[in-house]
Order: sequence, then structure tokens, then C-alpha cells
Amino acid sequence: MKHGLGRLRELLDRHVVGHDEAKDALLLALVCREHIYLEGPPGSAKTRMAEVAARGSSLGFFFYQMHRDTRLSELVGDVVLERRALPDGDGERIHQTTLPGGILTAEICVLDDVSRAPGEALNVLLRILNERKFGEQPIPLLTAIATSNPLRDEYYNEPLDPANLDRFAIQLRVAGLIQSGNRSLARLLVDQFADGRVVEQPEPEPVLGRADLDALHVAQSRVAVPAAEKDRLIEFLRRLVVDYDCDETNSLLTDRSFLVKAVKLLRGRALLAGRDHVSGEDLAVLQWMTTFRVPEEVHEKVPELLEEIVA
Amino acid sequence: MPDPSLTALARATRDALDSVLAGHDDAKTGVVLALIAREHAYLEGPPGSGKSALAGALARVAGARSAQIHFHRDTGASDLLGAHGLRRQRFEGRERLSFAPGAGPLAAAEVLILDDLSRAPGEALAPLLHVLSERRASGASLPLESAIATAGASDLESYADPLEPSQLDRFAVQVRMRGLLLGRRFERARALLDRPEPGALVPVLDTETRHALQRAAAALEIRAEARAALLRAIESLRRAAGDEPVLLSDRAFARAAPAILRAHALLRGAPCVEPIDVRALRLMLARRVPEALEPHVAAILEDALLENSPVAAPPGAARPAAAAGEGGGAAESPVSVDGLETFPAKIESVAPRGQPRGEDDAASVESLVQALLGRLERGAVARGEDSGGQPRGWRRMRRLDEILDADPVEALLYTEGRSPGGARVYRRERRNAGGTLAVLRDVSASMEGRLSRWAGQVVAGLVRTGARRRMRMGYVEFNHEAERFEAGGAFFHRRYRRLLALASRRRAEGRTNYEAPLRSALHELRKAAGHERHVVLLTDGVPVLGDPHVRRERALARELGVKVHTVFLGLGECPEVLDEISRETDGGCFAVRPQPDGRVTVLERRMSARASGG
Repeated sequence: MKHGLGRLRELLDRHVVGHDEAKDALLLALVCREHIYLEGPPGSAKTRMAEVAARGSSLGFFFYQMHRDTRLSELVGDVVLERRALPDGDGERIHQTTLPGGILTAEICVLDDVSRAPGEALNVLLRILNERKFGEQPIPLLTAIATSNPLRDEYYNEPLDPANLDRFAIQLRVAGLIQSGNRSLARLLVDQFADGRVVEQPEPEPVLGRADLDALHVAQSRVAVPAAEKDRLIEFLRRLVVDYDCDETNSLLTDRSFLVKAVKLLRGRALLAGRDHVSGEDLAVLQWMTTFRVPEEVHEKVPELLEEIVA
Repeated sequence: MPDPSLTALARATRDALDSVLAGHDDAKTGVVLALIAREHAYLEGPPGSGKSALAGALARVAGARSAQIHFHRDTGASDLLGAHGLRRQRFEGRERLSFAPGAGPLAAAEVLILDDLSRAPGEALAPLLHVLSERRASGASLPLESAIATAGASDLESYADPLEPSQLDRFAVQVRMRGLLLGRRFERARALLDRPEPGALVPVLDTETRHALQRAAAALEIRAEARAALLRAIESLRRAAGDEPVLLSDRAFARAAPAILRAHALLRGAPCVEPIDVRALRLMLARRVPEALEPHVAAILEDALLENSPVAAPPGAARPAAAAGEGGGAAESPVSVDGLETFPAKIESVAPRGQPRGEDDAASVESLVQALLGRLERGAVARGEDSGGQPRGWRRMRRLDEILDADPVEALLYTEGRSPGGARVYRRERRNAGGTLAVLRDVSASMEGRLSRWAGQVVAGLVRTGARRRMRMGYVEFNHEAERFEAGGAFFHRRYRRLLALASRRRAEGRTNYEAPLRSALHELRKAAGHERHVVLLTDGVPVLGDPHVRRERALARELGVKVHTVFLGLGECPEVLDEISRETDGGCFAVRPQPDGRVTVLERRMSARASGG
């Protein structure tokens, strides 16, 4: 099953230069069945990465480009009307349901430009992501990958509210290789296109089977979490709250995210690193969990803080 | 080596465009390169500069099936991707309603003309532009080769929304076109009068030859020297732009640039891509680099052609920076009315590294403008109807395409002709733009050098954000007296460009008087309608003339419900009266302090919060 992951990673590397962190995070999201949010400037391969990761795993796939006029029916399926004559034969009753489609039938979905959707579609969408059911029906969705441009003035998108962002356990900023001045990667990137290797890229083939993914998920749940690492996790959270003044007004440190999902991600990372137990370095996933959940200046300090705690 | 006959064809295509339009060599070459590279192009220019004519001529000369979409204020996704059909199917004894996208103008077009793109509501374009870059719609591949978009100059005074960076980035080629007259090319303009009537355009290419050209270009090798030159050019551009926003995306420069360079080499008839083809990058930069950098682009690219050239801003780029640096005390710095983005702060940022560039200034200006903006928006509850807003209720449909947003049951009844009045659709609303803002800027003698420049940047920042929200703005410079800058006989106006030019003026004379400017602005606000009314007072001094406590003005502001936000610049103690004005009117109060290390810190004085808490 590890081979499958390795092949998916290779596939990502073949299609996208650089962005190691985001690729690792995508694999982690797949293994842990969590949702992931990528934010970055235009043309920084966010969508491409999301699409390759999604198509590379042989799961039911749904891609949706959000826009201002996104309607709920485009996300969850068509409207079905049932018309029944009333018993007294005088008039009829019209009943409205949804024929599941789109995100309701997919196992993995890419929600491109997620912050552009109008509020109502977005709210329903994110509730579905969170509860993994629609109405009373459970849905097969494993992982949702959302992308967005940075929320700045020159864009028309509206910021996702923190509660909505919280649906995405893993949150990452992606930077363009050229824009961020990474010259060696920029050279690689230019070479790739200059060689004409990627002019007509074929659709990525699935390289990671559902059975492998299931096995990975089970293996993840069996990874041991030593008491010392649990202590470290709590210490990290304690420091955020006590030393860095994270509270309800500026942060989103929910018990669900940091006492349940964080542990899952720690295990997932240990598994990806080939270990059967969580160790100090796995705490690095907390960097991905805090990107938009604590104030930016605190997030910048997270690597330092983790180093202190692990040392 | 490409077939010489292909190069001849490419050149013939390029030259055929001469018969429709004089001049504009870059634009013509740009669209031909885009066609050969299978990339999209964006032409920006004032009305009548020949943008649409050029786009149409390209489609004709290229012998391509073309479609044209003319954008307008109400352009929506369905205009772009084809009208949705309401499909009704029997489904297990029930009825399934679905909206199936129609074919739309995109389905068959090889060259797509997007006319007046910037007139469309910016956010409605997302699906179209995604289709442009994927070249797929509804699961099917499109025959699309190039889309040529035209747009008015990015002018905040026109109705158009500026395109977002993510949308602009889909257009590899970006060229700005200027009219001959305003470009001061009078000789060319004179020559134009002598031109014979253009004959009918005949296609030079057809689908087969176009594809042959595209294949030949894609097969050209890019030599190592050319790659190195391309990387040097990108790096120089990135550095020269400093902290200004540039759009040097991986998509444009790693994916599109090699294709454009190949097309350029083909047009030259070269056997492979050589460093000299890097010159073609100039056709990609119109909206990707700051306008202040544009005059230097040619020099930066030329330098990048040379091997071992230092990767840094060329000496040529430093000159305007030096001029701006000593411009602190000068009466007026030149500002091109051509570009809204042009003001000295921008030019400063092309200074070579090693000199102080004021990057912290830029960041602090930004943070202050953002903080003020938050203040301006606080309590802005006025909502306006907007098709992208949240549903707030119901109304009758007005246009047929609104049926997409209708209550499904009513839509059904309507399609059956049983409710002739139309179906109910959501009434969607979004928080309104607009409001009124008076900016009062201290120009007393102490306001010189850095403080003055800084104040100018804050004003410019306010103007640009105000413009985005369509606020009506008024501007007063004051020392011992207040000088009002009206436009078209009105104190509050939307002549943002003029305000930006004023923001970059430097003068420092006289003494400080708060009363005069406040009185002047408040009397104007009394006449102004609307309930979102704000004053921003930028000052560095204590009032020595007029009523130092401005009691009457404070009372008037309270009476009118005008919020007065104050920004105190400098090292001195922030005068108490500023705190009081802000607190009484529920405005923000900010102090900006230069630090010994040359940085500037912005503090929000939380007077109003504390006062209201206690």
C-alpha cells in the first residue's frame, strides 16, 4: 500500500515542480481522510496539484469551479419534483427532493476558488463537508481539496469565515516559485516547459487504489501515540493559549480540531514517515493546522515553539 | 530549422494586420505570437485605439472560425458559456429538473474575441477564464486556439471593475495600446491621413496552416543560453519591482513564456530560440509589472540578454528614484495622469538594492489604510441588490435567465404557463459600496520630507480603496487655512485620478489650524446625502490657530453623525483633542511614529473602545 502512495507522490512530482510541503500535506489528507485548504496567488499550481492528487487516487472524483453564481444544485445534484394528485382529486401536491450528484456522490472532490461561492451555497457545502452526510444520508466523501486566492483587496472574493475554514483540518499557504524568488526551482520549472515535456499533459492515471487507501487508513489508526507526544501536544496548545494569548476572539482552537483531528494527523504523518509510533518530528503537522487558526504573527512563531517543545 | 515558408506565412499574417491599423507594432506582433503559441492575449487601451479592430482583423487574417462576446454590466456566466436550458425528464414517476449548459459561443470558436472584457462584473468571469485556460467545457475539448480580450484602460473613474490578477494571469500576452494623438506621435498621425482606404481583409492562413505554424513553433528548441537569459530577465523584473505587486506567476513565466519565445523565434525565422527572443517578454508585461517600471522594461530585458549581466535593477531604473528621493521638499513631483498607480512611492521602489527603499513605509501605509478601511466599513449596513449576494427574500423574476435562481416549483409552474407573472426568484443583496469621505491633509511647515511623503501615500491608499468602493471623496489641504480641491464644481466627487495626482504633491508651509479644514469639510458633508459619511484628518502638529478644541466642529460632526478618524504623524505627543474628536464621533484614532531605525509604526489609539466600555 505504501507503493501506491509512493506512486502518487511520483505522479505529483511529474506534473508539478517544487511545492514539496503542499504535496506532503495532500498525501496526509488522503491518508487521514481530512479536508485540506490551499491558498496562494494565481498561477501557482494549486489547482493542478489538487487535481493530480485527486485523479491519481482511483476514487469517485468531482471537480467544481466555484463562481459568483454557483447554485446549490450544481454542487449537490438536480432538483426532483414529485407531483401527486390529492386524494380528493382536487389539485395536486408538489414535493421537492434532490437527486444526489456532485459532491454527494464523490469520494474526493476539488473545490476550486472556494471563497467565491455565494454564502448560501458555501454554507450548505461546508456543512456537508463537516458532517459527511446530506440530510440523513451519509455520503461517500473522504477528502475535499479546496483552493483559493489570497484574500486581498484586488480580488473580489469574500473571506471565508473562520468557522468555515475550520472544516479544513489542514490549511496551507502556497507561494509561486518565481514570485518567491526560488531560483533553482524556477529554473527547473522553466526547463520543464522549455523542453516541451509538458506541453500536452495527459490526464493523470489513477495510481493509488481504493483498497490501498483503506488499508492506509486502518494502518494510520493503529499507529501508537506515546504518552510523551500527547504531553507535547498539550504543552503546545497550552503555550498557544497562555503565552501567545490565543483566545476566542483571535483564534480557533477547538477541541475537535486539536484533540481529535490533530492526533489523527500525527498518526498519519508517522505512517507516511514509515514509523509505527508518533515521534516529536510529527508535531510539524501542527504548523499546517494553525495556518489560519491563530493570528498570523503567532503562526510565524509556531516552528520556533515546536522546536522548543521537542527539544 | 522551421520551414522557411512557415516563417513567411507568419510574417504575412503579421503584415496583413498593417492594413487595418497604423502603428501599434507591439500589439500586432503580440496577437500573432499569441496565435502561434496558442496563448491568450489582452489588449488594453482607450476607446478608439483600435483594439477591437485588431482582434477582429486577426481572426479574419488567420482564417479562423471566430466568435465574439461583447461584455456589458450584466454579463453573467450563462452569456459566456451558453444559456442553460431547463431540462425536464421523467424520473421514476417523478420529474427531474436540471439546468443543462448550452453550447454557447465557445463551442466552435478557434479565435475568440472578448470585447470590452473589463465591463463585465469582474467576479462573473471566473468560469469563463477557467474554461479559457483548460480549453475544456462540459467535459469536451474545445477547438479554441487563442482568445483576444480587449479592455478599456484601467481607469477607476469608468464603470468597469478592474480585472483581478488571477483573471489577468490567464492572458499570456498583455499589451497596452495608446492612441497616436495622446501618445504624441503626430507624424504617424499625419501619415494616417494619407493612407488609402483599407481594402477587404483576406485570410492569409487557414486551420491547417495555423496548426502547422503552431506545431512548428512548439517543436523549436530553446537553447540553454536562451533559458538562462529568460531566467535572468524574470529575476531582474522581480527585483526591480521591489515590493510592488508584480504578477510573475509560475503559470505565465514558466509555462507561457517559453511558448511565446518559440513563436517569436519562428516569426524571426531562427533555427531555435535564442537569447534575443527574450525581448518578446515585453509583450507579456503590460499589467504584470508596476506601471512605474514600464519605461525600464526594455533596458532590463536588454541587460538580461547579456551573459554575466548582474541580476539586479539596471542603473537606468535608479534615476527616477533619486529624483523622487530629493523631491521631499519640492513643491510638486511630476505625476503622469496616465496611470493611477503612478505616484512617487511606486517609483521609489525601483531603486537598486542597498539604498533604503522604504519597504516598511509601504507596509505601514498598507496597514493604516486597512485599519481605516475597517473603520469606514464599520456599521456600513446599507445593502444593495446584487446577483452575487446572499438571498434576503423573494421577488418576481424580471429576466428569463433568472429562472436559474427561481424557486423550482414556481419555475415549473411558470414553464407550464400556469403562472404568467413569472416565478419567484431570490432577492440577493450585498453590502453596498459607496459612502462619502473627506480627506484633510496637514501641509504645515513641519510636514516635510518623509512625513509628507508618507502622508501622501496614505492619501493615495485611501483614494484607491475609496475608488474600489465607489466612494465620493473630497480633499482638503490645510495649514493655517484650508484649501479645498473641487472637481467639476463639486467638493465631493469621483475624480480619483485627480485626487491621486494631488496626493503626490509635496508642500510644507504655514502653521496648523484644525478648525478651518474641519469646518469646511463638515459644511460640505451637511449638504451630502447618505448616512455613511467620514472624515479622515492627517496631521503632525498641534493647532496653533483657530479654536484648538474645535468645539463647534465636534458638535456639528455629532449632529450630522459624521465619523471623524484622526491620524497623528510624528514623534510628538498626540494632541488630546484628536482623541476626543475621534471618541465623540466614534471614529478611529491612529498614531504613526517614525522609529530611529527608519521604520514607521502605526498604533491604533483605542480611545473610543475604552470610552464606550466605561
